[in-house]
Amino acid sequence: MESDSNPQPADAASAAEAPAHDPTEVRYLTPEMCRIHLGSHGALHATVLNDRIYGGVYAAYAFPVAHSDEFISLIHSGGDGDEKEIGIIRDLKAFPEDQAALVRAALQRRYFIHRVQRIHQIGWKYGFVRLDVETDKGHIDFLMRWKTDRAVDYGRRGKVLIDVSENRYLIPDLAALTPKEQQDFRRIIYW
Amino acid sequence: MELPPDLAGRAAVEGVRVEEAWLTTRTDLNLHGQYEPVYLLVEADRLVTLGQPASPDEPALRISLQREHIQEVRTRQGIGGGFLEARSEGVYVEILAYSNALADVFQKVAAKLKLWIAAEKPQVGPEDDFNPRTCPVCGMALEFKGDVCRRCINRGAVFVRVLKLMRPYAGKAALMIALVLVAIGLSLVPQQLVRLLINHVLAPGQAHNPVLAEDVARMYLLGMVAALLGTHVLIAFTSVLSGRLASFVGTQITFDMRSRVFGHLTRLSVAYYDRYNVGQLMSRVVGDTEQMKGFVHQLTGGFLAQLITVAAVGAMLFSLDWRLALITLLPAPLVVLSAVFFWRRIYPRYYRVWDANSKLHGVLNTILSGIRVVKAFGQEEREQDRFARSSGYVRDSFRGVEYTVTMFNPAIGVLFQLGGILVWFMGGQWVLRGRLNLGDLIAFLGYLWMFYNPLGHLTQLTNWLTQFLTATQRTFEILDTRSQIVEAERPKPLAQRGGGIRFEHVTFGYNRHEPIIKDVSFEIAPGEHVGVVGKSGSGKTTLINLLARFYEVDDGRILLDGEDLRDLKLDELRRTVGVVLQEPFLFRGTIYGNITYGQNETDPEKVLAAAKAANAHDFIIRHPLGYDTYIGERGSGLSGGERQRISIARAILYDPKVLILDEATSNVDTESEQLIQAALRRVTAGRTTLAIAHRLSTLKDSDRIVVVDDGRIIEQGSHEELLAAKGVYYRLVKIQTELSREPAVDSLASMTPKPT
Repeated sequence: MESDSNPQPADAASAAEAPAHDPTEVRYLTPEMCRIHLGSHGALHATVLNDRIYGGVYAAYAFPVAHSDEFISLIHSGGDGDEKEIGIIRDLKAFPEDQAALVRAALQRRYFIHRVQRIHQIGWKYGFVRLDVETDKGHIDFLMRWKTDRAVDYGRRGKVLIDVSENRYLIPDLAALTPKEQQDFRRIIYW
Repeated sequence: MELPPDLAGRAAVEGVRVEEAWLTTRTDLNLHGQYEPVYLLVEADRLVTLGQPASPDEPALRISLQREHIQEVRTRQGIGGGFLEARSEGVYVEILAYSNALADVFQKVAAKLKLWIAAEKPQVGPEDDFNPRTCPVCGMALEFKGDVCRRCINRGAVFVRVLKLMRPYAGKAALMIALVLVAIGLSLVPQQLVRLLINHVLAPGQAHNPVLAEDVARMYLLGMVAALLGTHVLIAFTSVLSGRLASFVGTQITFDMRSRVFGHLTRLSVAYYDRYNVGQLMSRVVGDTEQMKGFVHQLTGGFLAQLITVAAVGAMLFSLDWRLALITLLPAPLVVLSAVFFWRRIYPRYYRVWDANSKLHGVLNTILSGIRVVKAFGQEEREQDRFARSSGYVRDSFRGVEYTVTMFNPAIGVLFQLGGILVWFMGGQWVLRGRLNLGDLIAFLGYLWMFYNPLGHLTQLTNWLTQFLTATQRTFEILDTRSQIVEAERPKPLAQRGGGIRFEHVTFGYNRHEPIIKDVSFEIAPGEHVGVVGKSGSGKTTLINLLARFYEVDDGRILLDGEDLRDLKLDELRRTVGVVLQEPFLFRGTIYGNITYGQNETDPEKVLAAAKAANAHDFIIRHPLGYDTYIGERGSGLSGGERQRISIARAILYDPKVLILDEATSNVDTESEQLIQAALRRVTAGRTTLAIAHRLSTLKDSDRIVVVDDGRIIEQGSHEELLAAKGVYYRLVKIQTELSREPAVDSLASMTPKPT
């Protein structure tokens, strides 16, 4: 495997005369010029045509609320600890399914967020707000501080709750909850 | 931590030397971002992760990395969690994932692994399993790192400490409580007088009560009315007295507590402020101490008074007629339930109203403040819609509350009346049958309201108690914290103030397990000017933090004029070592007051001289009020360069033998920098000076430049010597020359290194 100071070319043809892309411009990664694959120890790699192989890449949403399957940034951590954006995937669906799956898995790893499906109970305990919820990761009972910065807007309809351990719980659309759940929730998380 | 036995067995089969592992820990997530216990084991020469296999065919071993293949270990923050990563063959590999609940634990693990890959011996102990985000006793998550566990608070002990605080005011507090009891006792009297008045004067002859002669009845009437008046006057009088006493004791205890907390905070070391942010501490000093006043008010007019009132009135009801008293109790649960309903369901709706109002204010403020932008982009209609949405939210929130309240209040009124109606119905029949006096019935009805009202309020007791105990415990926690910087029992005086400094094998880390300064030794002669250079995070500022004794070294020692800093009187150390910081901190007050900060005696002539030397005089004198100009918080009203020059004037006046300059010119424009540099040249003349600067041009005239990297001194020498050595310093100069077009920096590289 290459070191960052000696980048390994994506392939022999694409290697040598790699024109450095202008860092002030957005580089959109397309399936024609970018291949996403796994390297050693399962690290995510991105091979960019006329550039190089980037090892140890992670993915981040540019617009997690408005465009959750589009505008995904691929970021590479250099050996000096500096992080640089390789480029942005405008539409993940344009990539072959196996590559798109790798990006989605990377996003799932980076965004450790519980998606709340049901609110069984919301109330007070020891001066905290206590929520007993059903999430995509199972049934969870958590405590959060009753402060506006602990329940922040997610778009115009949702909320992200942050518990005392800084774990995150997403309610994508409050209107999708049952009327009773909405009423109970609004009673305490009124903002 | 130990592996579960079955997993340990599988791991051994797969070649993991479980017994030889010097570090075993568990995370809560797998690398797919799903909850699953995954174990990290570190052997002498390899790290592995292990997870319970889903089937017998699957391996338990997830990742295996040889130490020799790892160049670096780090944690990377994700959203809601993080990763422990190793750089292997130039690529960062995710070793494991963890949720935010374990972020602190894995930061410690990363620090130990860094030592491990450097072939150093990390220490592992039970304290490493300590997670500051959870209660060490019950494991409950805490509100913030190191906070009080609300479940484990020793409520009794907190109360005892609060009561002890009242000791200096014990006499007044006792009198206050006595007055409260008297007031409660007196509040029971009017109904008794009414009872007597009706039974013996106004409606005699029932239930075998004797009929009085008219004159006697008139006398009784006058006496009763006078007694009623007297009772009410007495009640008012005791209320005034107890209220004033409560105010005196409450505000005084709050004042005492606030002064003690603030005094203690100023004595705590800088390390304490690394753990808690200023906002939290402010809320403790201002908000939490205010709870003391609340406690005293709860004794006089709050829960204690209400509790005693309920008990006293209840006793009175039963003494008048136990059967009617039992009937009275019938609606009591409904009263309690309706109070609970109000506090839980209706009161929170007011929050929405407040929130809606505050949002409306915010929207209005934004639109009106940015009206030029709105007009410039022709967005009046869009903003009109935005305002209408906010205004509509206020309207709907108000409606929601008012519709509910207009229904709830009459309903609760009926409920309260229900008790009265039942008493009227049963008691009325008993009066007609001669089993009960009319006066008794009327008195009963009077007591009824005194009984129901406090019942409703008492439902809030537990909420208040939790809030009070938590806030008070937080306050006590500050008072119980010991400063890490303690003065020696018998501090030595400085025999001479030459300003000679020596670091001897100094090692230090803000977290003990993560050294920032590693075995550093160097010496600075009295009057020598030393520049400290290095990348961000290399340990430059830490070196000067140690020299100013803001922190205590973990190993080694720092000598000032031959004396260990720890043996010196803190006052004397502060007088000898002066600091000019990157962010000059000015306090609210006059410019004169800020320059003379830290001086017991001030002399206007010296202040003028110091300001002149600091190139501050000219801009100060241009202000209409000159040195008496009042500046706001943190020096608002002055530019960054002006603030810095005032802080330099302060340092000149302070006249320390050792001067520390921490990026003193990094936040100012070029013109200000030149003025400041000129001032610094004057102030540093004849003083031992230790200067940190990112702009290397400002250090080139130093007697010596020390290059720090990763907590160690890797190069030192004069500017010319270091350029000639073509090492790290040379590279830093080259980078700055390429990045900056400032002549000062350009001139650095163009200098021809002198042959050494």
